[in-house]
Amino acid sequence: MIDTSLKVLVVDDMSTMRRIVKNVLKQIGFSDMVEAENGQDALNKLRAAGDFGLVVSDWNMPVMQGIDLLRAVRADAELKHLPFLMVTAEAQKENIIEAVQAGVSNYVVKPFTAEALQGKLEKIFAKTQPVKA
Amino acid sequence: MLVDRNIEERIVEAPEEDHSINNELAELTKYVEVITSTIRDMESPVTTTSDQLPQATAHLQDLAKMTEDGAHQVLTLTERIETNRRTMQTALDQLQQQLGGEQATEVGRILQLMKEDERRLMDIHVALSFQDLVAQRVAKLVTILNEVQHKLLKLVVIFGIKQKKAGAAATDGGRGYEMLRQLEESKTTALQQDLVDDIMSEFGFS
Repeated sequence: MIDTSLKVLVVDDMSTMRRIVKNVLKQIGFSDMVEAENGQDALNKLRAAGDFGLVVSDWNMPVMQGIDLLRAVRADAELKHLPFLMVTAEAQKENIIEAVQAGVSNYVVKPFTAEALQGKLEKIFAKTQPVKA
Repeated sequence: MLVDRNIEERIVEAPEEDHSINNELAELTKYVEVITSTIRDMESPVTTTSDQLPQATAHLQDLAKMTEDGAHQVLTLTERIETNRRTMQTALDQLQQQLGGEQATEVGRILQLMKEDERRLMDIHVALSFQDLVAQRVAKLVTILNEVQHKLLKLVVIFGIKQKKAGAAATDGGRGYEMLRQLEESKTTALQQDLVDDIMSEFGFS
């Protein structure tokens, strides 16, 4: 069961992708969503607010990549329990292994479907007890 | 006697060695001439190509921007359709509760069609993620073109310096190398194109 009351951080350098992901999350039932345009921006927002319950992030971004954001989140005592969904075009086996080793919660490859995103979120929430806002 | 014989041998062999060295030098000279000619032939296509590459890069970046703008336009329209669809769905839900019998069934059928459209609208949204993939590939192409341009520019600079030296204006060669060094340093910055254009203009490119 997806907890749609959680505050979600949508991280992507492409404004179109942020909008698309937000629309899909809205359709699933999420209403509290914040955007970040790269890993560093996301990390700043996560540390400043402290009430996020889910991160949906792209991999390939300027300034700080999604994989580095993931590592920074997992290394931060306050943030390390956050569910982290990677939505990316990086579909090489080594990318996926790298993300898994870094502690990704799940991995969606672009182009994706609304069902795929929802399915991955359901799996994440079935496995973990997310931090509530 | 032995010493004398050696001297004699050297005297006899020396012309042969000279002949061999002369042949090798002649071959080497021919080779250098061919290379010089080839480089001279390359100069014009290289300068033309390096002049055209910034335009190609700009077109590619425009292409990415156009797909981004187009995707936003479609997103805006579908979001408005979705807002209207939700409003109509709420109104029809209320209407269905007030109606009875066959009329309620008919409204239910319309609601079912609207539900199907909700899914289709979401599919349109998600299908627009192609734009992100296009932008990523364009970005990779732009990087490759910038690399090629940078390498061609090095050749242009080298040819330019050669011409300047021949024309006794050797001081400009230092400036060319300095700009090339700056270009190297700014390879990953947004100023790259400006710097390339500056360097190109130094060598007579408009």
